[in-house]
Parts: sequence; structure tokens; C-alpha cells
Amino acid sequence: MKSNICNNSSKAKVTCSWYHSAVATSIIGAAFSLIVLTLLVVNFFQTSVTLPKWEEQLQTLKEEIRNNPDDQQLLSRIRQLDLQIRRNRIRRLDFSYKGTFLLFSSVAVLLIGVKWTGTFKKKMPILKLRSDLQDEQTRKAMFARLTVTICAVVLGLGALSLLMMHRVNFGGTGIEDASYPSMEQIKRNWHRFRGPGGSGISSFSNILISWNGKTGEGILWKTKVPLTGNNSPVIWDDRVFLSGADENKQQVYCFDAFSGELLWMVDVVHVLQDDEPAEVIEYTGFAASTVTTDGRRVYAIFATGDVVCFDFEGRKIWQKNLGIPDNAYGYASSLEMYQNLLLIQYDQGGVEEGKSNFFALDGFSGRAVWETKRPVANSWTTPIVTDIDGQYQLITVADPWVIAYDPTDGTEIWRAKCISGDAAPSPIYAGGLVFVIEPDARLIAIKPNGRGDVTQTHIIWKTEEGGSNICSPVSNGEVVFMLFSEGLISCYKVTDGTKLWEKDLRENFQASPSIVGDKLYLLDEEGVMYIIEIGSEYKEIAKCELDEKCNASPAFADGHIYIRGVENLYCIGNKE
Amino acid sequence: MIRFRYIIISISCSLILSGISTAVERFPPPDFESDYQQPTMTIPPPRQSFYEYIDAAVLLAALSLSSYLVLKRRSRRAIFVLMVFSLLYFGFWRKGCICPIGAGQNIVLSIFDRDYAVPIVVVVFFLLPLVFTLFFGRTFCAAVCPLGVIQDFVLLKPVSVPNWLESGLRLFAYLYLGMAVLFAATGSAFIICRYDPFVSFFRLSGNFNILVLGACFLVVGLFIGRPYCRFVCPYGVILRQLSRLSKWHVTITPDECVKCRLCEDSCPFGAIRQPTANWPTNVYSIAKKRLAFLIILLPVLIFLGGWLGTGLKSVTSRMHATVRLAERVYLEETGKVEGTTDASTAFRATGTDAKELYKEASDIRARFGFGGWLLGGFIGLVAGLKLIGLSVQRQRTDYEADRAGCLACGRCFEYCPREHVRLKKAKEVVSQS
Repeated sequence: MKSNICNNSSKAKVTCSWYHSAVATSIIGAAFSLIVLTLLVVNFFQTSVTLPKWEEQLQTLKEEIRNNPDDQQLLSRIRQLDLQIRRNRIRRLDFSYKGTFLLFSSVAVLLIGVKWTGTFKKKMPILKLRSDLQDEQTRKAMFARLTVTICAVVLGLGALSLLMMHRVNFGGTGIEDASYPSMEQIKRNWHRFRGPGGSGISSFSNILISWNGKTGEGILWKTKVPLTGNNSPVIWDDRVFLSGADENKQQVYCFDAFSGELLWMVDVVHVLQDDEPAEVIEYTGFAASTVTTDGRRVYAIFATGDVVCFDFEGRKIWQKNLGIPDNAYGYASSLEMYQNLLLIQYDQGGVEEGKSNFFALDGFSGRAVWETKRPVANSWTTPIVTDIDGQYQLITVADPWVIAYDPTDGTEIWRAKCISGDAAPSPIYAGGLVFVIEPDARLIAIKPNGRGDVTQTHIIWKTEEGGSNICSPVSNGEVVFMLFSEGLISCYKVTDGTKLWEKDLRENFQASPSIVGDKLYLLDEEGVMYIIEIGSEYKEIAKCELDEKCNASPAFADGHIYIRGVENLYCIGNKE
Repeated sequence: MIRFRYIIISISCSLILSGISTAVERFPPPDFESDYQQPTMTIPPPRQSFYEYIDAAVLLAALSLSSYLVLKRRSRRAIFVLMVFSLLYFGFWRKGCICPIGAGQNIVLSIFDRDYAVPIVVVVFFLLPLVFTLFFGRTFCAAVCPLGVIQDFVLLKPVSVPNWLESGLRLFAYLYLGMAVLFAATGSAFIICRYDPFVSFFRLSGNFNILVLGACFLVVGLFIGRPYCRFVCPYGVILRQLSRLSKWHVTITPDECVKCRLCEDSCPFGAIRQPTANWPTNVYSIAKKRLAFLIILLPVLIFLGGWLGTGLKSVTSRMHATVRLAERVYLEETGKVEGTTDASTAFRATGTDAKELYKEASDIRARFGFGGWLLGGFIGLVAGLKLIGLSVQRQRTDYEADRAGCLACGRCFEYCPREHVRLKKAKEVVSQS
């Protein structure tokens, strides 16, 4: 080809020189395009790698500054890093913009060069030999029909494969049921204070009866909890939730149930910063209320009245404040769930003050679904929702009333006047009876099938030998146990309240008792778990030391116990 | 002497290109204490209505000039100059927006959504090329559309795509048009704009994936003439049909075809149709039966397409933000996914009942069900008509530009000896011989 262009004639020489110029232009354009493109690609990857790292660092520093707002050095570092990031981003954007402009220019030069070169290589059209036109026409038409058919079939098959894809059918039945966990799911988990129904009964019986915190025997893992709290662990599948707080900070934690790793920890900023601070005694603390979960979200409430909802990744969904509670020792009632409703017993002040409320919030959005005034004084009990003869009842205990509501709309079903003093033990439902404790006074059994004031008609029996003032009762439906804070454990017959036995363990207890299979688990303040066989007389099976003080009630899962010590969270179970 | 010229050209190119790169980098000094206000970042910035009318006037002028250059002046060089102008003005200056290709979506949305008011300029941008096509063929594609122009410029080594293959591949453009109308009508998305492969080039920035898509089209466009225009462009689908009806249309020869065959391979877009031979008598009866079968098949294809289209409503409706949100919220609520998204968190913050959201999403899905019927039926109709069209023999005695497929680029003019006679570059005897 070259020989065709660069021959010896003078005209050809000129043509030849222009041809070379065109080629040179193409080469320069190509080389420059390649260089600019390389630089742009490098810039892009550097931006994708460097900036996210710095932004991550900045985020970490920002989290640190929340904990140390007065740290000027940290503040200065944040500003420097922020400046660095902005500077870098603008520089790279500028580079990218100019580079793109350059790339376009050089590609334009390249195209001009190549097209220019092409003008020197123009050839005359070469006529092809003709085949039989009739045959060719027929063949082309056939191929075209075949191609159209194939393309239509490809489209059809593509559409069919898309039809097979999973679809979300929110027009079908069961939308409402699917938006909250089933009873089976709840029973497999420990979704609130004292587990399903607040009964304190484990669904699993494969729980260890021997461990030792000193030697590590039976301890699967132990993880430090950043802030203290008297609330108990809550378990959903592979996650354990807790909260912690002091007078400055409130936090919610999520741990891996199998490794103990702290998966996330989120600060809950008090929304009423300018208000009077909540008055809380040290014994109660700022995070005495146990969190709850519906398997989709986790909900927490603090002594400041802050109610907060997080998803399972630790992302805040909503937050509300119910007002600083007027509570003598500090707010301690735990949360309960019924279907999509988050149930909050918010008892305050004296009986006559009329400050007490019950709130039902939509777990999805935090919207108040219903709210009702309660004629009671401040209390520390946790409500339960239980199925009684096919109807769910929300049972609450406070001075002076035990009141049952319809959890769907807050309508009162029945009430019994039988409580006085600082009510802290929560109610339970077992053997067809509701058991409540009047602090320092008595254990009371109420038949929950009445309407209106049932004080005179439905209290089946009550003991007269005192009542626990912190620990809630527990029952397997045949016998009911009451544990006093000072260590006295009493066993009564459910049917008539006959005392079967009692034993003074001579230790202090704050954690409520639990039942695992045919065993009773009692955790004292020193972290010693008493495991007792449930029977007609006291029979101790084992005593397991944790080597850490404990105030919270334990939580039970398949083969595991989760115990919150004053500093650490423990998982106890078989290593196999 | 020659070397000296090389050096001069090389240095000039390097200086021009490098000179721009040495520009001083801008950096606004950060000041945390100042009242510095963030500038509003809108790309492209909204244009004043005055400029919009100028744009419409420029479009009218460009279309008129293009039609004149293609049909009267028959000058590829002049068309090329107009292409450069269109690329710079409608592409880089106006940053590719609003363009007639995407404007159709605004029109469709305004028809289905009473609350959506479409600006008059958008209507003008949509209609002007259609009107011109109806009279003069695809002169918009020839030199006015910046998307076509950028592809035309990169075409270096044309490889011909067989007509039979092109017939099949063009089906996807009809699908794209149908989907664009469906998504615009339901207020879901303007997919033509969202997936415009060249707009990132015009704006010198954009989504990385779209940039890659655009680069791919340009790389393919080095060898296959205007791949986006021929196999994807939804506006091109409409222009094709109008161009069939055009009153005046580009011709290869200025007067008569001498059947010299020189233009046979001149069109990089495969838009030159050869003279036909008579239909072979031995296949005539089979062809008749086939035609009858395909005519009967047509309603079946429409029904099948409609059935598939409506069945896909769960998939297609995901293009709508409300349906996506409802699905996400539903999955979160039923515990099938963990965590939340910004959208679902924001929705929860509104305090609206999720059931209301589900109902709204179900209504939108129902609309997609009906729209899917129409879309699927349309695709079935197009496929059926294509098959029928390919089973009917057309008689041609001369070499002709395909009325639908010809992009009026003017490349074929110079291949015609009669054109050389017209331009007095060759003597009349050439054609006579």
C-alpha cells in the first residue's frame, strides 16, 4: 500500500507527506488518549480506595468525640481529616473533569487522524460476483424469519424465567400475621424479660447443671458489657440483646449468641436534653428495663423515658420520649410485645395523682395505637400478655390494682384491688390462675375469667406469710414458687395455695427464679446458681458459681444459658 | 522538509493537549467559622425559559438545514459540518437534555398523570423531528441527533450486519420503546434518560456503569455503524415508521439508477436495497401457505405476549419506587430480610400504616398488569407483523435507500456516477456508457 502512495512523482510525494502527517496525528492522539485514560482509571481506583478509608476513620473519630466532647485534640484531628478528605475529593474531581476533557480532545484528534489516514486508502468499490438472486432472496428472507423467531423466543423465555422469580405478594392472606412473629417463633426464643409470656420457663431442657466461672468449666464465652444495667438478656436466633446506661449515656448492645462478639453498640441520645434529669437510685440504675424484640426489631426503654427501636443491624428506626418518669427509685418496668404492639407500663407518682399510663405503640413506626390512664401509683412490675381461654389478656400489677386489659385496644377486662406498697414482682399465669405478689405481704392467686371488679369474687387464695419484694414468682402449673430477696424459697400448690415446703438459702437474690424441665434455677447476687429438683420437698441438685455478682434474671436458649453479671455477659453450655 | 512538518504537527498537538492540563487546580479554602453556603449542585443546571425557546428554534433550524442538505444539496461534507455543530450544541453545550428521544416519556407521563404538566418546549422537541421525518425522511438522525452523531464519528471500519440479523435484533428496540412508555405512564422511571449511554460523555461526568455502557457502544460503533440507533433507539422505532410514509426521501441517485452496483456496499448501516428478482415459482405455494399461517398466528402471538406481559407485573412494577418500598417494608416486617434502608426508615418515620403502603403498591401493580398486557401484546404484534412482512415479496427494479432504515447520512451519494455527473465531476458519457 505504501508503495502505491509514495512513488516518485511530485504529486505522490505531497500525498505521501500528508499521509504520514495523518498517521502521526493518529499515533499522537492514540498515545495521548491512552496516557490520559490510564491516569483517569488510576485516579478512579485511588478515589474508590483511599476516600472510603479516610471516611471510615473520620466516622470512628466522630463516634469517639461523642464520648469525649471536650477533647480538643480529637476535635482538631477530626477537622484536619475532614479538610484532607474535602481537599482530596475536590482535587480528584477536578482531575477527573479535566482528564475527561483531555480524553475527549485527544480522542477527537485520534479520530481525525484515523479518518484522515483513511482518505488516503480509499479504494474503488469492488463488485462481488452475483449468486442466483432468487435463491439469495429466498435464503435471506428465511434467515430473517428465523432470526425474528429466535429473538421472539429469547424474549419469551426471558419473560418466563422472570415469571419464576420470587415475588412478594402483599395482596395475599396473612399480611398481618406475617408482620409479627408466630407463637412457635416466640417459644423458640427468649424475646422479653423472663422469656415467652414472662413465665420464666425455658422451652429447652438441655441446659447444663454444672459450670464454674473460676475454672471456665461450661463457660462458652464471656464478653464485657460496656455500660452497666440490671436488665436481663433477650435472645432471638443468633443474637443477644442488652441495654446499658449511666447518667450520661444510654446504649443498646447486640452480641453474637454463639461467639459473644459485640456485633453492634448504639448510643441512644436523650431527646429531652434540657429537661430535669431522671432521678434514679443506684440500686435501680438507668437501664433496669429489659429490652424486647419481635424478631424484626429490638426495642429499649430507659429511666429517662426514652423509648427507641433499632433494626437487627443496629440502625435506629424510631425514638420517642414519654417524659421523665416520676418514679421513686427509677423506672424499671420492662417492655412487652403483643403482635405488632409494643406495650409500655408507665406508672408514675401516687395513686391520686393520675400520672400513670399504659402505652401501646406500633412497633413498625412508633405511632401510638392506644393509650390508657391507670388509677395506680408508680410501680416496677412488667406486664404480661397471655392467652386465657382463647382471649389474650394484658395483665398489669401496681398499687393498688391488678388490672387486665384487652391488648388490642386497651379496653379494661377486669381488676382486683389486692396490692399495696412498692410493687416490683411481675405477674405470671399458670394452671389457669394469675399469680401476683403483694410486696412483703402475700402471694395471691386470681381466676382471670371475670369482668369488672373481681376483688371479692375471683381471688382464689392468698398466702399470709409475707411476699417477695423484688423477685417474681414461677410456676409449672402444679406448684408455684416464691423467692424472697433474703433467700427464702417457698413452694405452694397451685390449686389451693397449700405450702409444700420452704427453704432458707441465706443469700440475697434479685434475679427471678426460672424453670428448666423439672428443675428450678435460682441465681443469687453472688452469681451462684442453685439448681433444685421440683418436687414435694427441697432437693438441691447443684450449685454453680459464676465468680461475678449478678442482679439480672438469666435467659435460656437451646442448650445455652445467658447470664448478665455486673460487668460481663456469659454464655454457659456444652462446648460440643 | 517532511520531517520538519511532522515535528511541527506533533509539537502543536502536544502543546494544545498538554496546555489544557497545566491549568491551575481550584480549591476553595475551607473555613468552618464562615457563613459559607454550599452551592446548589444541579446537573445539568436548569435553563431559563428564554434559552429553551432558543433551543427549540435551533432545533427547527438544524432540521430544516439538514433536510435541505440531504435532499437538495446532497452534500455529505455539509451534512458532516452540521453534525459537528449538532454534537457541540445539542450534545456538549445543552448536555443532551432535553432531547427528542427522551421527551416522549414526558408526553406519555403527562397523558397518564393529570398533575404532570409538560412544558411546551418538550412537546416541540418531541414533535418537530417527527413532523420533519413525515415530510423528509430521517433527516433528524442524519445530522441533528447528538447520539447518532457521536456514533457516526467513531465509525472507522464498518462491518456490515446482515439484513436478516438486523431484522431480529431490531425487535429489542420495540421492547425498549414499549418499556419506556410503560414505565413513564406508570410514573415509575424515565428509562431512556436513565440509561442514555452517551449523556455521560456530553456532561463529562456521570454514573460509572453508564459511562462503561456508553464506551461499549462506542467501541462496537467503531465497526458497526450506529449500533444504538439501529438496535436500541426507541425514538428511532417511531421515526422508522413515519419515514416509510415520508413525502420526500433521500435517494442514492439524483435522477435515475443505472444499476452500476457501485453503491451496493456504500452504506455502513445496511440501508440500501437491491433490485429484486421474481419470486421462485417452486416456493410460491409454500409461501402462500406460510403467509396464511402467520396471519392466523398473529392474534396468538399478541395474546401470548399479553399473557407474559401481565404475568410480569410483579417484576416490572419493581421499577416503581412505591412498590420497591412496599416490598422492602414487607420483607422487613416478615423477617425475611434484616436491617432497614433509608427509604424504609423514612417511611416508618411518617407514621403511615404499612397496610396503606401495601394497598398503594397493589394498585400500582394492577396498573402494571394492564400495562404489561398492552406491552406484551405490542411485542407479539410487532414480531408477528415482522414475520408477515418477511414473507411478502416486494418488487424493486432499482437500487434504493430503505425508506425506514436509511439514516440519510449521505455517504452513498458519492458512489453514484450520476451524482458525479450532477456535480459536473464526470461527463454525461460516463452514465451513457
